[in-house]
Amino acid sequence: MADRKAGAYGAAGGDTAFRRTWDRDEYAAKAADREQKVKEEGKARYEAAAAGKKYIPRASTPPDARDTEARNARLNVADLVGKQTIVVAGAGQGKRGKSAGFYCDACDLTYKDNLQFVEHLNSKQHLVATGESGEVRRATLEDVKERFEYLKRKREDEKSREVVDLTARIEVAVEVEEREREVRRRKRNEKRRKTKDGAGVQEIKVENDGVIC
Amino acid sequence: MAHQADAKKSLDERGYTGALIRGDNPLKLFEKAVRDRIVDSYYWKEQCFGLNAATLLDRAVELTFIGGTYGVAQKPTPFLCLAFKLLQLTPDKEIILFYLEQEEYKYLRALAAFYIRLAWEKDADVYTTLEPYLSDSRKLKRRIREGWALTHVDEFIDDLLLKNRVCATTLPKLNPRLFLEDEDRLEPRVSALGEELEELDHDDERDSASDGEVEELPNGHANGDGRPGSDGEVVSDEEMDGD
Repeated sequence: MADRKAGAYGAAGGDTAFRRTWDRDEYAAKAADREQKVKEEGKARYEAAAAGKKYIPRASTPPDARDTEARNARLNVADLVGKQTIVVAGAGQGKRGKSAGFYCDACDLTYKDNLQFVEHLNSKQHLVATGESGEVRRATLEDVKERFEYLKRKREDEKSREVVDLTARIEVAVEVEEREREVRRRKRNEKRRKTKDGAGVQEIKVENDGVIC
Repeated sequence: MAHQADAKKSLDERGYTGALIRGDNPLKLFEKAVRDRIVDSYYWKEQCFGLNAATLLDRAVELTFIGGTYGVAQKPTPFLCLAFKLLQLTPDKEIILFYLEQEEYKYLRALAAFYIRLAWEKDADVYTTLEPYLSDSRKLKRRIREGWALTHVDEFIDDLLLKNRVCATTLPKLNPRLFLEDEDRLEPRVSALGEELEELDHDDERDSASDGEVEELPNGHANGDGRPGSDGEVVSDEEMDGD
């Protein structure tokens, strides 16, 4: 129909360019792919049945999943000690959503204690949500040696930074104290300038400067 | 090549696939009760997750004591947790030897020695690998059931070779050295003391012959090479069990 020069009402032909065109090869490849998958699954089913087992389909590991790695620092569970948090009324049913406690961004879950939280961080659910495979790359002897040298260097660096000389330590302490005093003096002066009689105002101390975090 | 981030799969009762030690799951070298306590412990969950043989060093260099389980709750020590992790990883022999041969970190050496005693299957290998470190007399802190005890690297290795329960673990059977020597699978050990040892023996004989009364040495390390003397054990057997 579309090939004809004129339409039924004599309108000019060739106005079907708006129609979506299909890449036949692409879809043929897709179909072949699906067929292959179905065949494979059928085969797996047959083999499982032949071996007297139940076939359980599994989701495959996504190809871009990265290896799980060891935590490079301790979990900072004391981070929120002494802090105040606003919890939205009705937020979070059970663990779901953000509420008071240890919050996991990736899974949108809140845990009330660190043991449960760390168990969650090790769980399959969390690993999948963060795109990790749950498998760790096996280290070779070279990796081990490299890591060892790194740790040795790190320790030596820390040692060299430690000051053992008493006079040097006193100097550092005096410097720090001087700086602190300077800050305090500046604050005091600023406050005096603000009040008219220069007597200064009594500072009202609020935890975390009143910021609720 | 990859391995699992935790030991859940290797401890699954429905079957184990992976490296074998003495024809069995390496993790079974630890007793069930200890295994469960390790897997439940916070240190295991937080610090031992996703370690491989290289990143395990990060934790091992931070060790400050050895030991089995401690306290009323029989909490496993980090040392024990890392040993458990090593059993899960079963690294190559070269890696373990590298752990053992390094000089800087004595607790890493103790960990490697413990692993070797547990996992290596040839008795002669265990003796020849561990015995050179009987001349390493650095101090080690050991956590016992209630409180702390002092030991040394050489003493710890001596315990590994002679005792059958160390750090809350029953060690696999190891033939006595004399038996292996009789079977010609092992050369007699040359003491680090050399000829001095014989002189000491002579002195002892002379002393006992002269006054008939045996004087006990006040401490077991008086013979110089740091090995506990036969009569001067500092730590009793019950304490060494540590669980």
